[in-house]
Amino acid sequence: MLRAPPSPLALAAPVLAFLLASLPAPGAQALESVPARSERASMTLAAELEAVAPGQPFRLGLKQVLAPGWHTYWSNPGDAGTPPEIGLTLPEGASATGFDWPAPERIPFGPLVNYGYENAVLLPLTVTPPATLRPGDVFTVEAQASWLVCEKVCIPEEGVFRLDLPVEAAPRPDAALAADFRAAEAALPRPSPWNAALGFEGQQGALRLEGPALSPALVREAHFFPAEWGVLDHAAPQPVRLAEGALRIGLPRGAAPLPPGPLRGVLVLTDAGGTRSAYDIAATPGALPAQLADAGMLGGGSLGAGSLGAGPVGAGPVGAAPPLWRAMLWAALGGLILNLMPCVFPILAMKAMAVARLSGAARGAVRGHALSYTAGVVLSFLALAGVMMALRAAGGVAGWGFQFTAPAFVAGMGWLMLAVGLNLSGVFQVGGPVALGSGIAARGGHLGSFATGGLAVLVATPCTAPFMAAAIGAAMLMPPAATLAVFAAMGLGMAAPYALLALAPGLANRLPRPGAWMERLKEILAFPMYAAALWLLWVLAQQVGPEGLAAALAGGLAVGFAAWALGRAQQARGGRGRMAGRGGAALALLAALALLPPLAMTPPASAGTRASAAEPGAEPWSEARLAELRAEGRPVFVNMTAAWCITCKVNERVALQSDAVRDAFAERNIAYLKGDWTDGGPAIAAVLRAHGREGVPLYLVYPPGGGEPAVLPQILTESLVLEALPPG
Amino acid sequence: MAKLLSRRATLAIPLGAVLMPALPRLAWATPVIGAPAPDFAAPDQDGTTRRLADYRGKVVMLEWTNHDCPFVRKHYNSSNMQTLQKQAAERGIVWLSVISSPPGEQGHVDGARARGLTAERGAAPAAVLLDPESRMARAYGATTTPHMYVIDQAGVLRYMGGIDSIASNKVEDVAKAEPLARNAMLAVADGRPVERAVTRNYGCAIKYAPGA
Repeated sequence: MLRAPPSPLALAAPVLAFLLASLPAPGAQALESVPARSERASMTLAAELEAVAPGQPFRLGLKQVLAPGWHTYWSNPGDAGTPPEIGLTLPEGASATGFDWPAPERIPFGPLVNYGYENAVLLPLTVTPPATLRPGDVFTVEAQASWLVCEKVCIPEEGVFRLDLPVEAAPRPDAALAADFRAAEAALPRPSPWNAALGFEGQQGALRLEGPALSPALVREAHFFPAEWGVLDHAAPQPVRLAEGALRIGLPRGAAPLPPGPLRGVLVLTDAGGTRSAYDIAATPGALPAQLADAGMLGGGSLGAGSLGAGPVGAGPVGAAPPLWRAMLWAALGGLILNLMPCVFPILAMKAMAVARLSGAARGAVRGHALSYTAGVVLSFLALAGVMMALRAAGGVAGWGFQFTAPAFVAGMGWLMLAVGLNLSGVFQVGGPVALGSGIAARGGHLGSFATGGLAVLVATPCTAPFMAAAIGAAMLMPPAATLAVFAAMGLGMAAPYALLALAPGLANRLPRPGAWMERLKEILAFPMYAAALWLLWVLAQQVGPEGLAAALAGGLAVGFAAWALGRAQQARGGRGRMAGRGGAALALLAALALLPPLAMTPPASAGTRASAAEPGAEPWSEARLAELRAEGRPVFVNMTAAWCITCKVNERVALQSDAVRDAFAERNIAYLKGDWTDGGPAIAAVLRAHGREGVPLYLVYPPGGGEPAVLPQILTESLVLEALPPG
Repeated sequence: MAKLLSRRATLAIPLGAVLMPALPRLAWATPVIGAPAPDFAAPDQDGTTRRLADYRGKVVMLEWTNHDCPFVRKHYNSSNMQTLQKQAAERGIVWLSVISSPPGEQGHVDGARARGLTAERGAAPAAVLLDPESRMARAYGATTTPHMYVIDQAGVLRYMGGIDSIASNKVEDVAKAEPLARNAMLAVADGRPVERAVTRNYGCAIKYAPGA
């Protein structure tokens, strides 16, 4: 699924293939004609059989290997160009069909779009030799073909081909060419399994399909190639909308009149894994098909988008995206509420310290610290959003909380929490007397407040607060500048309580005066930090299994030793003791860091061994299993979760695992599918995006007998779930 | 983290793609039959600016062309295009050949070369319009060379589409094809309705100037 940018090797491959194809064929090759070659294209007539049998149809094909950058055309070439033509001369009594056309690609050129093929393609046709042939005869096929091959300029080419095929009692397949023919057959459109409705209103039109396997999780891109020239605007984007079991493609009309009878064409779907499949569609134009209710929108094939390598385009939220100001408002609210979410618990300690340190400080200092903290939060949100956008632009599947899908990150955060806890317990000191956290987060200065804000964001992200889900989903579909604005708003919301202190530093005077209570508070707050470290190690155990956990624990030991050694060094009188302590601490830290690369390599634990998947009554989620259950007409409850998602865990404890809910599942024959996104798989990411979410949790209730799923809120209660379940 | 770090090197490239806005179809229009044809102002082979409004009262034929395109060559090598141009001149129809290729692309010419081509080929257009920024092509939604448009005496678009009915680059097909553009041109000159007002234009893609 991850699509790396093309490496030089990948770019060289088509060149190499073309050069190889241009070489003279070694020896006599009866089953692939002598090629017609130019510096642009190498064409041959190929047969799928080494020997034909009397009366038995077989496939013949015009095999094209094109130089990089050059293309040939589909039966409807789009805005310009013409398709290849072939004329066969066959022995008496034999017959042949025309070409069967593999699904084309959109080939943009300036404001125009052509339909055709790049790199290599084989256009197959069927030849039926006469039944009167006898074994030992030779069946000779002669062909005259012409084709137009274009890059920026177009060159007409032609060739004359001849194949002498031996006749035997039974057909004998050609192993060497079988792969080419298989690939060609696989790219041919198949009969469509869906109900199709098609209609136009003025210049706007749409094709709507209904039936199984059309789902936002399965379909990444869709495009309809009209068989008839000019009926549709070849270059216009076709906006795609998807819901469970339904697909609607906008079809802007072209200038040519609609032909009488059904409109034909080929629908090409690209699935979540990047595989293309093609279907023959024929539908008589009628009324404009209705828009899908509650559908996600795919990025339509806008001009040039394909060639930019934009990667998977996420499906949007319900209906149209909300305006920017509303997304920002929701994001700010979500950020504010993030302060109260259970997964922020680990950093409550840090927040408490951040406030406590302001006690008794001068107004200017209060303002400075509050501003630094706010800046830390906002900039961290922007950085996370930027990395996320960059990863997705690279074709990755990064969702919100993506950093938790990397085991090395989780281990590193666990150690950081341990170090912060040890610091709060007084094992070592950093900075002034009321030190907070470790590393730069512990500096007494503004840098410390800034780093505290950053740390808070890093740890809090897996907690998508209810208000943030829609906002983040919408934000990722907006232009980059708008996306960043929404994330900045979220950061401002989260930092709002502290920003308030900056605006009214007098509020800090209400805090108790500094004194011994601060030391006590600090020591007590060490324990939430240890708890956070434990939680992170538990998350890690889900990802990397016992070996990885052991490595992470060893790292924790090293961090503990480093903290102790540093503390010794700080108390040492002599320079030598100080040196020894610091040296020991540095070595121990290096040892811990050395454990990180192997952790990143550790294969993930299989889903079956995960605590998060092992919930009684739950089956692991897969698109296939979901489709199967829905085909049976059963209602389905889908729970998308991850080991690092505390909100998910809480929901499962208080709502999903309650006796009342379990009984309801059993009584009403509701299947319970649980998807584990702990290591961020693309299939689940696609489902999340299809419902306008960038992270877990996501709860879907599919009604019995088909139809759209209901999306439940991110905070569940038992009564809420019971009400949402379909009646038995 | 290492998983993320290892991708850092790849981040620089796609960031450019993220920041690149979606390419809009700049000023692209598909003109409508029966509606006023888009106005234009373009220099001809001698540098004189020609406007559609200059030809009010006359039928105008627009021919998009690129002398190196195989489809254009089919119609000039067979003398089909020159014959049509002469017929147009006899009937008082203004034939304008339009060249929309930008500098450096196939088909681009300056005024002198345009005059030379007309002389070499025995062509007889009323003028050759030079549109190196592809503005006129965008206004008319022209896609191929050749691409033909007929505009009536009142400036209303009456025909757009192919020069004839057989989409090939073979000279021998000219005689077999239905001369769609010719039929449309003569119908408009005679005041008859055009039987097929939009037909399939075929040929080489017009080499558009980048977003003017």
